[in-house]
Amino acid sequence: MPTHKASAYPRKHFFFEMFTRDISLEDCILDLIDNSIDGLLRSRNIQVGSSLLSLSSNGDENVNRKLPRIEVSYSARRFEITDTCGGISRESALSDVFNFGHAPGEVGGSLGVYGIGLKRAIFKLGSQFEMVSKTMGEGFSVNLDVKKWVEKDDNLDDWRIPLQYIGGAASEQAAGTTIKITKLRPEVVMRLDDGTLAQRLHSIISQTYGLFMGKYVQIILNGRKVDPFHIPIGDSNQVTPAHDDYQDGEVNVKLFASLAARGSNQTWKSEPAGWYALCNGRIVVAADKTDLTGWGTLGFPQFHDGKHRGFVGVALFQSDNPLALPWTTTKRGLHRESPVYLHARNRMIGVARPIIKFLDGMYKADAPEEPAGRAIANQVTRTGLSEIAARPVTPFSVRVIPGRRPKTTVRVQYDAEMTAVQRIRKHVKQPGWSAGQVGKYTFDYYLETECPQ
Amino acid sequence: MSDPSRSYLKVNYEFRPAKQVERRMLIDAFQMLGEGGFPIREYRYVGMGSVYFIDFILFHRLLGIDRMMSVEYDTLIEKRINFNRPFDFVDIRISPVADVIPNLSPDQKHILWLDYDDIISRNQLQDIALASTYLAGGSILLVTIDVEPPTDTDRPKDWKEYFVGEGGDYIDKKVPLGAFAKSELPKRNIELVDKALKAGLVGRSDVGFIPIFNFLYKDSHQMITVGGMFGGKGEKRKIRGSALADAFYYRPSLRREPCVIQVPLLTRKERQYLERLMPYDDSYSPRDFEITTDLLHAYREIYRFCPSYAELLL
Repeated sequence: MPTHKASAYPRKHFFFEMFTRDISLEDCILDLIDNSIDGLLRSRNIQVGSSLLSLSSNGDENVNRKLPRIEVSYSARRFEITDTCGGISRESALSDVFNFGHAPGEVGGSLGVYGIGLKRAIFKLGSQFEMVSKTMGEGFSVNLDVKKWVEKDDNLDDWRIPLQYIGGAASEQAAGTTIKITKLRPEVVMRLDDGTLAQRLHSIISQTYGLFMGKYVQIILNGRKVDPFHIPIGDSNQVTPAHDDYQDGEVNVKLFASLAARGSNQTWKSEPAGWYALCNGRIVVAADKTDLTGWGTLGFPQFHDGKHRGFVGVALFQSDNPLALPWTTTKRGLHRESPVYLHARNRMIGVARPIIKFLDGMYKADAPEEPAGRAIANQVTRTGLSEIAARPVTPFSVRVIPGRRPKTTVRVQYDAEMTAVQRIRKHVKQPGWSAGQVGKYTFDYYLETECPQ
Repeated sequence: MSDPSRSYLKVNYEFRPAKQVERRMLIDAFQMLGEGGFPIREYRYVGMGSVYFIDFILFHRLLGIDRMMSVEYDTLIEKRINFNRPFDFVDIRISPVADVIPNLSPDQKHILWLDYDDIISRNQLQDIALASTYLAGGSILLVTIDVEPPTDTDRPKDWKEYFVGEGGDYIDKKVPLGAFAKSELPKRNIELVDKALKAGLVGRSDVGFIPIFNFLYKDSHQMITVGGMFGGKGEKRKIRGSALADAFYYRPSLRREPCVIQVPLLTRKERQYLERLMPYDDSYSPRDFEITTDLLHAYREIYRFCPSYAELLL
């Protein structure tokens, strides 16, 4: 029997029109920021696994240094992202950057996993794009009318994108990439102008790249610097956060969990409570209170808004092979079928349990906070992930300070009719009892007969 | 979280013959695993010693284990537990076992015995899932639970309701009522344990659960003990290649009928009489006293493990 070969070629039109529908505008913009950060990690030779949580290179000493910048700006006519993150080499541009996906064994970067983000974002946003990228030694530019490029689709050679070589950057600080997209799609223009996108993007960027900002990079959105979000995990001299650390194949997993830092009014808010999951430093799930992070599974309770708002947990997945990480293609979710995630979820329940027990004890029957627990919680202030990571693996613990035994009694006072008190005196044959003794007797009687232990 | 029943107040653990037979069989099995290449002496035993510590004493004396931890939930008897600690190396933890399991060292092989006296509950299922999440390859898990009807009523409908309530996603709500008949309850319990084990193992590519034990016995309440090892092909091969694979109580699948431990009520004289003839044939029947064939066969299986009780004037 002769064998015939059916056509199974890719079609540009699919990528241009369909491929972009399952991803939000926000996620497309984050994909572009991912590419910039990957460029930075590559050009500065930063190892996410070892340095992201290191104390030595973390924090304040870098604040005043001139960090590389990623600037995102947009209007109804154009979208632009410019970075000073080192640029893309010509070789990489010729053989990798514009491909749809990576070949087996190729690793894109720490955050750019699938090799689709840049193309998908361009197609999603508009039909004309310009790109200029300069490393220290060389540069290239692209100017593409996407619609025209899509129209010609006779063979795989038509998938190539023309580049022009240009000179390199004058300094490391100037090396970087600019992507400008014009002829924006009408639906994109509508979203860009909906009055809420800017604020929403600001908070998503702040949250997603909290670990990178202020340490490696600054991100500026429409001229306004984005401040990093800090996960509100807390500790005190009495409260030690849980710290679990293990290797699962190619992925290192770190789990931290503790009480949340208290706000200035000595309360917890429900919104930031829950689990945060990070893949190579990028937050992919924030303040999760669902079964995705173990709530309501394996006998672990559902998130209870009143009781559990004091819980914060962090699951950090790190790998040199980002494909091994349990993130979804949009990188804003966890891949539910990933064995790494499934095993981590079970262990997240294990580390969270003592904290939930503490909180359950603090909010018995939804009553106001139990005083001893409140005194402990009020001392809890925000700590950094680097600080927790630097400590040994340990379960969550609360140290009770000797000599400060919390008060366990409360004064009960109420008014009663004198005739009623007298009736009780008569009934129990204790005419000399004070009203207080009658009150104590009746309270004890009720406790014993109606509330037996 | 519910307070586990304080059975140590109700039962003197030393006088539960079926339980004692089970302990001796476990020791027998551990000795065979030791001979089969598992360094049982180096394992760490984590159990619920209560105030009696019988398993701790036996495991140390007969297996040589000297890394031990006893976990006790009841904070009211902390001093009593410490007072009765049989050996200095027994570490005592007063806390729910679920708080202890996540912190068991991944570099240490354990024998963890979740020796509950209660009927199954969601907390126990969580403990089991945690054990299969955390225990290192080569570790052994034993789970003992009461499989009597879970409510005071005699209605399987109520029992099913209890299991559905506690079992959550582990239980198929469409299972017919007949599956909750009293005689079926051990199976339902084993299924729940199996599902909790599997839930805890999800995502672990290094190990699976290799069933070894499935005992059904009764001193006052009917109880089951399900047990096995976490491991891969290597562990499975070693177990199957050991003498344990030929033991009559060995259960390589939780679907197999459990090993029923039945302790015949025999006098000391009758026992001595029968033991001189061990192992007797199926057709054997003593001429000097009456005994049913079933009891004769039951005793032949367990006589090696059967305790003798006597009054000691100390």
